[in-house]
Amino acid sequence: MGAATPPLMEYSVSPDPRRAVAKLPLSHGRKRRSVGIVGLVVEATGLRKRFGQVHALDGLDLSVSAGEVHGFLGTNGAGKSTTIRILLGLARASGGTVRVFGADPWDDAVSLHRRIAYVPGDVSLWPNLSGGEAIDLLSRLRRGAPHDVAEYRRRRARLLDVFQLDPARKGRAYSKGNRQKVALVTAFATPADLYVLDEPTSGLDPLMEAVFAAEIYRVRDEGATVLLSSHILSEVEQLCDRVTIIRAGTTAETGTLSELRHLTRTEIAFSSDGMDASRLAQIAGAHDLEVRDGRVRLTTDSTDLAPTLESLAALRVQALTVAPASLEELFLRNYGERTVAAPPQLATRS
Amino acid sequence: MNTLAPLLWQRARRDRWTLTYWILGTGLLALFAATAVRSEYGDDAARAGILRLAVAHPSILLLRGLPQGAGLDAFVFFQIFTYLALLAALMSTLLAVRHSRAEEETGRAELIASTRAARDSAAVATLVHGVAANVALGVAVAGGFALGGLALRGSIVTGLAAAATGIVFLAIGLFVAQFVRTSRGANGVSAALVGLAFVLRGVGDALGTPTVDGLHMTSSWLSWLSPIGWGQHVAAFSGDTLLPLVPSLLLATAAGAGALLLGARRDVGSSLLKARASRPQARRSLSTGFALAWRLQWPSIVGWAVGAAAFGLFAGTLSGLIEQATAANPTVADTLRGLVSSDGSVDQALISAMFSIVGVLAAACAVQSVIRLRQEETSGLAEMVLATPVTRVRWLLDYVAVGALAIVIVISAAWIVATAGVLASGDDTAHIGDATVAAAAQLPAALTYLGVLALVFAALPTATVALGWAVLAVGAVLGIFGGIIGAPRWVRDVSPFSHIAALSGNSVAWNGGLWMVVIAAAAAGAAVAFMRRRDLRV
Repeated sequence: MGAATPPLMEYSVSPDPRRAVAKLPLSHGRKRRSVGIVGLVVEATGLRKRFGQVHALDGLDLSVSAGEVHGFLGTNGAGKSTTIRILLGLARASGGTVRVFGADPWDDAVSLHRRIAYVPGDVSLWPNLSGGEAIDLLSRLRRGAPHDVAEYRRRRARLLDVFQLDPARKGRAYSKGNRQKVALVTAFATPADLYVLDEPTSGLDPLMEAVFAAEIYRVRDEGATVLLSSHILSEVEQLCDRVTIIRAGTTAETGTLSELRHLTRTEIAFSSDGMDASRLAQIAGAHDLEVRDGRVRLTTDSTDLAPTLESLAALRVQALTVAPASLEELFLRNYGERTVAAPPQLATRS
Repeated sequence: MNTLAPLLWQRARRDRWTLTYWILGTGLLALFAATAVRSEYGDDAARAGILRLAVAHPSILLLRGLPQGAGLDAFVFFQIFTYLALLAALMSTLLAVRHSRAEEETGRAELIASTRAARDSAAVATLVHGVAANVALGVAVAGGFALGGLALRGSIVTGLAAAATGIVFLAIGLFVAQFVRTSRGANGVSAALVGLAFVLRGVGDALGTPTVDGLHMTSSWLSWLSPIGWGQHVAAFSGDTLLPLVPSLLLATAAGAGALLLGARRDVGSSLLKARASRPQARRSLSTGFALAWRLQWPSIVGWAVGAAAFGLFAGTLSGLIEQATAANPTVADTLRGLVSSDGSVDQALISAMFSIVGVLAAACAVQSVIRLRQEETSGLAEMVLATPVTRVRWLLDYVAVGALAIVIVISAAWIVATAGVLASGDDTAHIGDATVAAAAQLPAALTYLGVLALVFAALPTATVALGWAVLAVGAVLGIFGGIIGAPRWVRDVSPFSHIAALSGNSVAWNGGLWMVVIAAAAAGAAVAFMRRRDLRV
């Protein structure tokens, strides 16, 4: 990690114990396919990638534990897709170390690919092959020789049904969302140990996002690991156990959602009726206080909430709302102001 | 109609380079044809010899035109007009589809239709733009002929005939675009109609009636079914009549009005022919990278093989006749021998010449297979395949294997048809042996292109498409026409087509072929080595 971007926190190497407890009842009694995969599925340290003069990755750290859904957040051009291409052995790191299932993704690409399902960020299809043909071809390429055709057909039919995809149209006739669905059906139709999904819902409507979420829960309960790159924060909030935020090719923050929230502020608002400057001055630990549209709004350190709440109680405030910081805010804090002052160096690759 | 001006401006701006290349290229072809005929067939006797040969064996007329006397100007028109008309027609159908169906397919037409522009404004603008482009092409053709020293009146008539042909196909292209859902499909159907017009005219001319002197010919009624045939009947430099262009104008008006009427009565983006449902599941065979490469390439392989078969037909059927005709006219024999720098007999020279072209077609087909690799890489499709357990090297070799298979198929198609032609026309069966040697001789040259371009793809991927076609074009020109254009020996030696085994009498020189196989294999090996270590590059 470069000196310019000091790590805001240490990331935990072991899976978050809170989530492990929460997950036990779900996976209890189920057949865990990935028995034997413990510890880290993806482990990248100091990852660098240059394209000519451009540093697409500049010391990226990423670790994904077995069985977790890991969110990979960043703006366009931050280096998400480049990282994913390195993890898949489609591009070769210029520096740093990277292991996937303990193996080098460049040297052992083919054996790793037997365990990985991939959905690219921008799905293109062969114009003269139907969606169904593309799904079948890629699935056959992925699972190799011995396989259960009936089981595959059953899964494929179910996925086509839930994603409401017509497989009989030519690739060139699909909309962006439908191309995305073709890639998603392909990814979920054959079991995998690791799902690498690059902004998989960018073309889907909210109904389909819910279907997608259900599939993520399903593969997680089967014991698979998911790396989900996204800039849709609500999706990551809903689905992910841990999050890595990447900015300009380096890791900005990483941790569980609750850990990251500690670094953020809590938003408090209440009715301004009967409030005046002297009364508001009594609130402990208030930041960014403003009165607008009949509401008093302020933020406070999430770690220092108790004194604030006590002083609010003393003021007998009305219509109080206390909201944990959304990832949107977390994201804005990382990129919002700085993006204006110093835009990300790379616009060519995401 | 004040939205017409910005729509026209947008079309002119978008096409400014594309149309410049088409129009200047066609004009230059007219100029070069005029100057080349002057230098190669300078005297009346030589031209009369060629014309008598063509009239005696009308299948030559398929590739030329209708003989209208041995005068220099009329001879140029006979040689080149159908190609000028062909270029005008293709420029026009591509232009029509580019600004109609392609716009609808990409959704850009909706942007235009949502403005103040009327429902038919875009189509009217395309028609005006296309007519203007064809007028410019007509001026370029007339200018090319006039600069080449041909009579001004006939030059202008030729320009008008070429422009009229283009305008007919502009309207036809717009008409077709109303029916077909995709721009690819619309381009395919329109180009097929242009091809049909070319062939109808060719067959009609071949079935025509020659005059007693053997220098003129009247076409059969079939030629009158083809817009290219109408253009040709202006008989520039001999008859100089514009009457045959009347049906052109009528058809252009009918097709253009039909396109406007149909376009105004359907939804934006819809088509009158509905897309058929495709297979919801893949065939069992579509399960490997090779199967995918084959699936993507076979339609174009069939296309190249059909083209090669046509040259095989000429090789198989013309050789006997050429032998008789050239006995009377040594000039023709010299020209043909020069084509292949062969010391063998004239019929052997002709078979070699025809198969040299087959070799270029086979190499082009293989080059396309490697270019497909690059297209798969840039479109992101390769990424999806390579994220499965398929290695980069295996992926490369699948397409190279399809390329090698394509070479064998294209050359075999020509050889089979040539052999059948020899048997059917009752020629000397020794020609079958000649055709076999000539066909086999093309394999190493075409394989060299495949191997070298695979290496370019692995080492310099961004240069694949440009280098692929450029190297093929240079190699073909140097190898096939190097002798005629007087290129020095060492320059000609650069081209693989200069090293194909040449027929001379009964002996065959295979050394060059062996070396080329070695080079092709070495290049493929180096490609594999580079492919192991390179990223995917978009």
